[in-house]
Amino acid sequence: MLRLWALKQRLPPSQCRTIRTTSSARAATAAAAKETTAPPEWTPNSVRTGLIARKRGMTAMWDDHGARYPVTVLQLENCQVTANITTVRSDGSEYHAVQVAASDRPEKTTTKQMLGHFNKAGVPPKRIVKEFPVTPDAHVPVGTTLSAIHFVPGQYVDVIANSVGKGFQGVMKRWHFKGLRASHGVSVSHRAAGATGAHQDPGRVWPGQKMAGRMGGKRITTQNLAVVRVDSALDLVFVRGCVPGVDDAQVMVRDAKKKMTDAAQHNYAKGLFEKILPKGLDSLPFPAGTKEMAKALPPVIAAPTLRRSPFLPRE
Amino acid sequence: MSLNLLRRCARSLSTAAPSYPFSKIAVIPPAPATPPPAPLLQGKGLMAHLADTLPSADKLRLLKTYFSKRHPLRILPGSVLSVTMGHAPTQFTGVLLSVRRRGIDTSIVLRNVVNRIGVEMQVFVASPHLKDIKIVQRAGGGTGQGKTGKRMRRAKLFYLRDSPEKMSSISAGLRG
Repeated sequence: MLRLWALKQRLPPSQCRTIRTTSSARAATAAAAKETTAPPEWTPNSVRTGLIARKRGMTAMWDDHGARYPVTVLQLENCQVTANITTVRSDGSEYHAVQVAASDRPEKTTTKQMLGHFNKAGVPPKRIVKEFPVTPDAHVPVGTTLSAIHFVPGQYVDVIANSVGKGFQGVMKRWHFKGLRASHGVSVSHRAAGATGAHQDPGRVWPGQKMAGRMGGKRITTQNLAVVRVDSALDLVFVRGCVPGVDDAQVMVRDAKKKMTDAAQHNYAKGLFEKILPKGLDSLPFPAGTKEMAKALPPVIAAPTLRRSPFLPRE
Repeated sequence: MSLNLLRRCARSLSTAAPSYPFSKIAVIPPAPATPPPAPLLQGKGLMAHLADTLPSADKLRLLKTYFSKRHPLRILPGSVLSVTMGHAPTQFTGVLLSVRRRGIDTSIVLRNVVNRIGVEMQVFVASPHLKDIKIVQRAGGGTGQGKTGKRMRRAKLFYLRDSPEKMSSISAGLRG
């Protein structure tokens, strides 16, 4: 099971992952899949689904050398798959996605439209529904409950959430303007923007001129955060570093596009099989880490410390 | 070589703990005995639960006794502590200026005057490098009521940075 893709030969270009997959290529992979009934395995060209979690707070942990690092605690709240989306675009290419929902909500506060959607999926009504683009082999059966075991300690993730709202803010905070002097004749404009343009040419303010306004509360992606610990009993994912949003905010967590997905595809294409996954990782749960899978695995898994000790001088 | 082979066979045959196929070098800490109560799964009291679960037993004891808010043996700011660490400086003695209570991230600031230079050190209580904390003198010069010492009128004694005379009075009380 481990690293079988390293022993196989490189896939022909027709079966490599491309942004636009044609229906003929999909039929070819479907036929190949029907021949073998083995469960799908992660390949360097696959893109898995992500999860929806809640940011619960931050704490600190110490690695094996005794160096302190901050961690954010993310908790899955009954994260379930509600749909598998396959759309054929007008030019024939296909878009595949897995729709995931999390955080149960009371039926009486859910609209009839959404109640029907959740009934079709066979899941209780949820507060947040999001979809994650995937490759065709990474579809997950509808109704599957996803678990924190989906992420492997040692891998990297991207975390997406709405940033903390800062309200109406001035240019100094919002755009890091320097403001004006504190004295020497400056009158009532110490934190103002100053000039906003040129003179008669162009004789107007360019669109996009940085000005005061509402700051924060926008969708932000923090990339390449290392997963340091996974607790499937409490459905916790500990990621190193900070994550946008307030505590108890809904966040989307997916495999890092740069350090996982793109690096895997790139290194596989180049033949550098040792660099496909980050150090220490052999494979990833595919198509997703589910509650059933978590029952057969240890409840708490932590990442080892791979770096050298920062307390010892470099030679 | 054959002994290692035997060890690997024995580990694969044993049913003590489930193995983790996705990473060979992953660390598997011992699992908690009881399953988590339902409110924790909704996030209620989760961070407090982690504050009680993540540190090791002796670090948790330190946090719950010396650096708690109400324990009879808690260390008050104004006490003189001597800490032993695994990294340089291996020994540091100083006046406790502040206790920053954040669960496992609790830290203390110790101030001393070394070679006529004021030196402060922030020590994280749960750090693996922290070997030992000795209480040299309880707050208030050791003449306070009970074992904790005399309570200073401030929780954070940062004013000591600007008054060397108060610092020397604490050190004089120490030697006396």
